[in-house]
Amino acid sequence: MKKIGSAFAYYLGVTMCNIKMALLTIVEYPSNILGWVISNPIQFLLGFATIKFVVEQFGGINGWSYGQLAFLYGISVLSHAFSMIFFVQGWFMGFFVIEGEFDRFLTRPLSVLYQFFFTNINVFGFTDLIPGILVFLYGCAKTGFSFTASNMVGIMALLIGATLIRGGIYILLGTTSFWTKSANDFGQFVQEIFDKTTMYPLSMYPEAMQLILTFLIPIGWVSFYPVSELMGIETAFSAGGMGVWITLGVGIVTMIAAGLVFRIGLRRYESAGN
Amino acid sequence: MFDGALDKYLFVYKTRIIRSFTYKFEVYGNILMQVIIMITTAFFWKALFGSETFGNGITADSMLTYTVMSSVLSVLFTTGVERRMQQSVEKGSIAIDMMRPVNVFGVFLAEDLGSLTALLVQNLLPILLLGSLLIQVPVIASPSAIPLFAVSLVLSMGINWLMAAIFGMWAFTAISMDALFQAKKHLIRLLSGSIIPIWFFPKWLADILNALPFVYIYQLPLDIYIGSATDEEIYSRILLQLVWALVLAALFCLLSKRVLKKVLVQGG
Repeated sequence: MKKIGSAFAYYLGVTMCNIKMALLTIVEYPSNILGWVISNPIQFLLGFATIKFVVEQFGGINGWSYGQLAFLYGISVLSHAFSMIFFVQGWFMGFFVIEGEFDRFLTRPLSVLYQFFFTNINVFGFTDLIPGILVFLYGCAKTGFSFTASNMVGIMALLIGATLIRGGIYILLGTTSFWTKSANDFGQFVQEIFDKTTMYPLSMYPEAMQLILTFLIPIGWVSFYPVSELMGIETAFSAGGMGVWITLGVGIVTMIAAGLVFRIGLRRYESAGN
Repeated sequence: MFDGALDKYLFVYKTRIIRSFTYKFEVYGNILMQVIIMITTAFFWKALFGSETFGNGITADSMLTYTVMSSVLSVLFTTGVERRMQQSVEKGSIAIDMMRPVNVFGVFLAEDLGSLTALLVQNLLPILLLGSLLIQVPVIASPSAIPLFAVSLVLSMGINWLMAAIFGMWAFTAISMDALFQAKKHLIRLLSGSIIPIWFFPKWLADILNALPFVYIYQLPLDIYIGSATDEEIYSRILLQLVWALVLAALFCLLSKRVLKKVLVQGG
């Protein structure tokens, strides 16, 4: 038990160092971060404009009012932001495999997956939080969502679970590079699919697609099911009042599965020079 | 003499076509991307419209045509000029580009036209086919609109290329362009009507957007295609489109001279 405790303290210390380094890079290249501060929020304006200007004129979409959609959208962007901060490296795993970048990590006395994600904490991801928080608060105001203690805990569990689901899927996709031996640059596709399936109600897609996104690829749990429940909207699969906790559970399971697949993949890692 | 000059650009054009057919992943990648956008957007419009009709006689069907055609047009609006400029400034190969006895921007244009020619087969056709199969066959609202559509499309492509080229000139002063590329991509998506037609926006916002060049990339040709505007409206908007094309061309000429001079100073 003591050993686990000291290992945890060690990892925590390293993480603190990494966060410090990440913050220092902002000070080093202020103009660089300024570009992302401008460009990342713009990306989410499009989706918000769709909800604000288009859906509002039609009154709603599939039983979702436009305030509820803003809430859903906010949750989606927030979980996207957190996944960008901690797990964006997954998008580039292919390049690490091809370039033999894992050599460096393998020689150090830390978990390879931990190093892969936390050596470069993506400070630019924080710029995604800005539109996320704004739209989320807007949705809360429009729907009269109250910040009671249980709601706050629920939102936290939801965001942690959603972030883990996204991160787990990035890792699983990135890990395919160990087998294909090519750098699959899938980032933008994944982003596009996640955007369209988590920012709008999943119920607008055909049933087969909903089934896949509920049970096979757990994207539905990132935002649609838990938020439906918080907003009191009926869905095809009732979560029985446990939506946010199921999301957290699905997130943890996805991440563990991703970690296992990564370990299997790493055995096939051949280093550079082939 | 003019013929001889044109030959050089034709050669660049031809080599670019040949080169384009050797890079496969990018090609499939873009098709996949456009199909994802097309299908998800189509379901969104279907769910939203149901059997309703929007103010200007727009139905779910016309929105599906709009969606498919927007993806098809996006292929025609593919430009490499801004990345090309950024890379050649970053690596310093812009100096070699400029030493050649041809106009640098002429070469960039010829390269883009070459890529575009290859993309017609590699990308435009598959996207059109998949869109027709999976969503709806995009039929033009009236056959008499074809010439107007063609005219406005050519102007659209001109505006799009000029904007890309002017934007790319930032590479000569900015250190990191990645964020700027993203910002431009998302701004065009938002303001040009490529995903949401601007007639959904409130009037004040639509009026502002109509005064900017972005809507003359996607929105105008698409409006002509689905027949959501009257003939008079279209004539006056094509005129505005022409004005923007000329303004951007003038700006481009002005800036390109300045930018190239700046490189000469640095390299000397």
